[in-house]
Amino acid sequence: MARAAHATGEVLLSLENISLRFGGVKALTDISFDIRKGEIRAIIGPNGAGKSSMLNCINGFYHPQEGRITYKGVTRRQMRPHQAAEQGIARTFQNIALFKGMSTLDNIMTGRNLRMKTGLLAQALHWGPAQREENEHRAFVERIIDFLEIQHIRKVPVGRLPYGLQKRVELGRALAAEPELLLLDEPMAGMNLEEKQDMCRFVLDVNDQFGTTICLIEHDMGVVMDISDRVVVLDYGKKIGDGTPDEVKASPDVIAAYLGTSH
Amino acid sequence: MRASREHTIIAALCAALVVLMLTPLLRDSVRLQDWLETLLGGLLTGVLYSLVALGFVLIFKASGVFNFAQGAMVLFAALTLAQLSGAKDVATASFVGAGAVVAGTAGLLALAGWHRARAARESRPPGARLQVSIGLACAVLGGVLAAAFSGRGWPMWLALPATALVMVALAYGIERLVLRRLVNQEGIILFMATLGIAHFIDGAGQTIWGSDIYKVDLGLPKDPIFLLSGVFEGGLLVEPTDLIAAGIAGALVISLALFFQKTRTGRALRAVADDHAAAQSVGIPLNQIWLVVWTVSGLVALVAGMIWGAKLGVQFSISLIALKALPVLILGGFTSVPGAIIGGLIIGAGEKLSEVFLSPVLAKTFDLAGGGIENWFAYMLALVFLMVRPQGLFGERIIERV
Amino acid sequence: MLYREAGQFKTSYSADQAIFPILQDRLFVIALIVLAFLAPVALAAAAPGLAQYLFTEILIPFLVFSLAAVGLNILVGYCGQVSLGTGGFMAVGAYAAYNLWLRVPLVNDLIIVFLFGGLMAAAVGILFGLPSLRIKGFYLAVATLAAQFFLDWIVARVKWLTNYSSSGSVAVGNLTVLGIPIDTPMARYLVILAVVVVLTLVAKNLVRGHIGRSWMAIRDMDIAAEIIGFRPLRTKLLAFAVSSFYVGVAGAMYGFLRLGAWEPLAFDINRSFAILFMVIIGGLGSILGSFLGAAFIVLTPIMLNQLPGWLGLHMSTALISHLEFMIFGVMIVFFLIVEPHGLARLWAIAKEKLRLWPFPH
Repeated sequence: MARAAHATGEVLLSLENISLRFGGVKALTDISFDIRKGEIRAIIGPNGAGKSSMLNCINGFYHPQEGRITYKGVTRRQMRPHQAAEQGIARTFQNIALFKGMSTLDNIMTGRNLRMKTGLLAQALHWGPAQREENEHRAFVERIIDFLEIQHIRKVPVGRLPYGLQKRVELGRALAAEPELLLLDEPMAGMNLEEKQDMCRFVLDVNDQFGTTICLIEHDMGVVMDISDRVVVLDYGKKIGDGTPDEVKASPDVIAAYLGTSH
Repeated sequence: MRASREHTIIAALCAALVVLMLTPLLRDSVRLQDWLETLLGGLLTGVLYSLVALGFVLIFKASGVFNFAQGAMVLFAALTLAQLSGAKDVATASFVGAGAVVAGTAGLLALAGWHRARAARESRPPGARLQVSIGLACAVLGGVLAAAFSGRGWPMWLALPATALVMVALAYGIERLVLRRLVNQEGIILFMATLGIAHFIDGAGQTIWGSDIYKVDLGLPKDPIFLLSGVFEGGLLVEPTDLIAAGIAGALVISLALFFQKTRTGRALRAVADDHAAAQSVGIPLNQIWLVVWTVSGLVALVAGMIWGAKLGVQFSISLIALKALPVLILGGFTSVPGAIIGGLIIGAGEKLSEVFLSPVLAKTFDLAGGGIENWFAYMLALVFLMVRPQGLFGERIIERV
Repeated sequence: MLYREAGQFKTSYSADQAIFPILQDRLFVIALIVLAFLAPVALAAAAPGLAQYLFTEILIPFLVFSLAAVGLNILVGYCGQVSLGTGGFMAVGAYAAYNLWLRVPLVNDLIIVFLFGGLMAAAVGILFGLPSLRIKGFYLAVATLAAQFFLDWIVARVKWLTNYSSSGSVAVGNLTVLGIPIDTPMARYLVILAVVVVLTLVAKNLVRGHIGRSWMAIRDMDIAAEIIGFRPLRTKLLAFAVSSFYVGVAGAMYGFLRLGAWEPLAFDINRSFAILFMVIIGGLGSILGSFLGAAFIVLTPIMLNQLPGWLGLHMSTALISHLEFMIFGVMIVFFLIVEPHGLARLWAIAKEKLRLWPFPH
């Protein structure tokens, strides 16, 4: 089922001929694809295909040796991750990367950090602007907490939460940044059916309600084919397929990569 | 690409260091002979730093614990050895010493035996009883020896193994009472625990043995040797203790390298260093491995303490001098045995040369109250290298992942 | 029974984010602060001898070290950067304050002098925090030792800093705050108390706001923190600066109001360890813990000195100091094993129990 409710066709991010090497190991070879505004774009592929490396290139954690990344019409080659964040790219991680010593509320509040401007002195006194700012952002975060239905764990340190809830908190932290492009690295890995359904619902709702562009990596083909608008398929660091779920499903290269071929 | 650039910078830094070390020779007032003597003295002190650093590296490699107590272990070993061997004038000291050796060993063995017996309530393991009896036997033996030699001090052939035994007991105690209870804690927690251990050992060592300055007499030749007297007038003055120390250190490093590379235990050690959980899952007993590592580094501490004690006398400051081994570590890398050796030599030489030749210049230029830059020179040197190569000269590169 | 939060509903985010959201806690702390200001004054009037001992030997060191521990806790407990250079930064604070006081007679008000000491320490802290960009964990801990030894050396050797005194020791006198002479132990205590209360409040405000969250994010997972938009170097340097400011002010107060005359040895590496121990025993990442840890480290030696006398034993001072070493060592290990979050966590657990008492089910 192809849904293109928000997809306007305008390209938000385009990757051209990206190649990434670690010493002699080629993680990505000559990969090009784009992400359009408002769509849900999935990256799939077998383990070790280079999917996470791809996300890491997009948000500036890895620097590809070759290729161009154009985001919102501006071409860049190298940037630090925090610069990507400042430009509206947020992400979640394959292995949960929450701040374990902090509560759910504080974790999600860190997502608002780029928007909190009061300086050291105001913070030190916690008076006037500092308190006002804190309250405004708290109100925003409370909306996310409501949206993700995690009110009951607001003040619990995230280290104590079960896996599924941690994934949800991590999504909340990314959402708090009000990103234009949201990168989700295996948001449903290790979840049971019910948790997966919840997570699918949240992803679709985020896309629907806030118009956030989403790029996600996922192994569950059912989920991918159901919720994404377009899919790009990687194998051994090369692109072997790109298109709507139906096109990808029909592509012989993709079938070969997933099911193996008889030589 | 990156790596090669890094190598260039390292090479440049090393070259700069060598040039810096050579610069004093440009001054007219400095004789080549003095310079060489200083360099040699520095290198030989560096060997001692290396020995202390080696103990750190061993433990860090095998268990990921940054053992701040290594210095305290050196002090403890030196104090024990000095007291057991040399307390001719204090009859009781020898007696107390023997008692402590024995009580410590026996107590720990008995405790361990009791532990094991309790753990397997139904089937009392035969080992438990054995341990208790070994402990008691040690106690009796220690008592007899102490009585026999009371008032004279133990001969070195007896005192040395006895001290080794104490170090084993100490390692055993640390593993039993502290590390075992901190498995899977973060590295920084373990580090702070060793800070606590260091304090305890410092305090305990001095409570048991007292805090006077002792001599360790290894029976080594004391008369200085003059090298190259044909080339220089009067030759180069070298202490034989230093040369022997260098020899011992070299032998120790070679045997450790062989131990790590060639033996089954060595292989297990490397496996544990790589990944605790994975090593455990293939049946490597973590606790025993840790015990082995701490024992080995305890023995390395004994060697360091022995040489240091013979050179400078045994006193509390040994524990602080061991702080000098830390810049050696950050220079050489926490995980590299050759790094510890080369780092030690660089630091030793750099420190001595800077103290002798740079200090007076600094003091004169800036109107300082004396030199003493060796207190921090090693640290600053290490810091400069660290900025270029955060994992140390020989350390393993840290790959960051998300 | 008294300690119940039932019926206290929060109607605003401000109320929910207050430092002490529970009414009883708030009252207790206010009462404690009032008591801290008034009780010693009353005592000083009633029993001057005892009060003098109490001020000089217990309360003043306790407060000064608490402040230093709060500072170190910001760096180690909140931002996760282990520092062994606390003594060095205290020295910077003390000597900077001394030189301002000595050389600029116009601004000899203690508050300004202390602030200057803190600011200088903050500047030096930023300098020695720079390596934290590239170095982490143990490597950084060892690198901070460079700060300790280097700063120790500077204050011991640069004659100008000690005003060319032959022994390297310096002395201060005729101290005033707002024109009021600070010449009795009680006055010194009150000045310190005021400074500590204000700075503690500031620290608490910082750690509960977005700056505190950025520190904790770096502590818990620096890579993730950078990816969601924190600038690691800026965040760490701010922690170094704030922490060193606190430590510097504590150093200045220790020199001016506790010692009166001091030499570089007062801020050697053992001072660094002692303050790190306060933070560990008290509780990493807890302002309250810093106070509990300081109390523990200040009181233990005093108790140890008294204990043999009470028991009728005779112990030499050397033995007592060795025993002190051993006991601190054991306590550190004990706390790390049993309760890595220190006394502060024990306190929190006790409060949790109290909330439910006497009907825990």
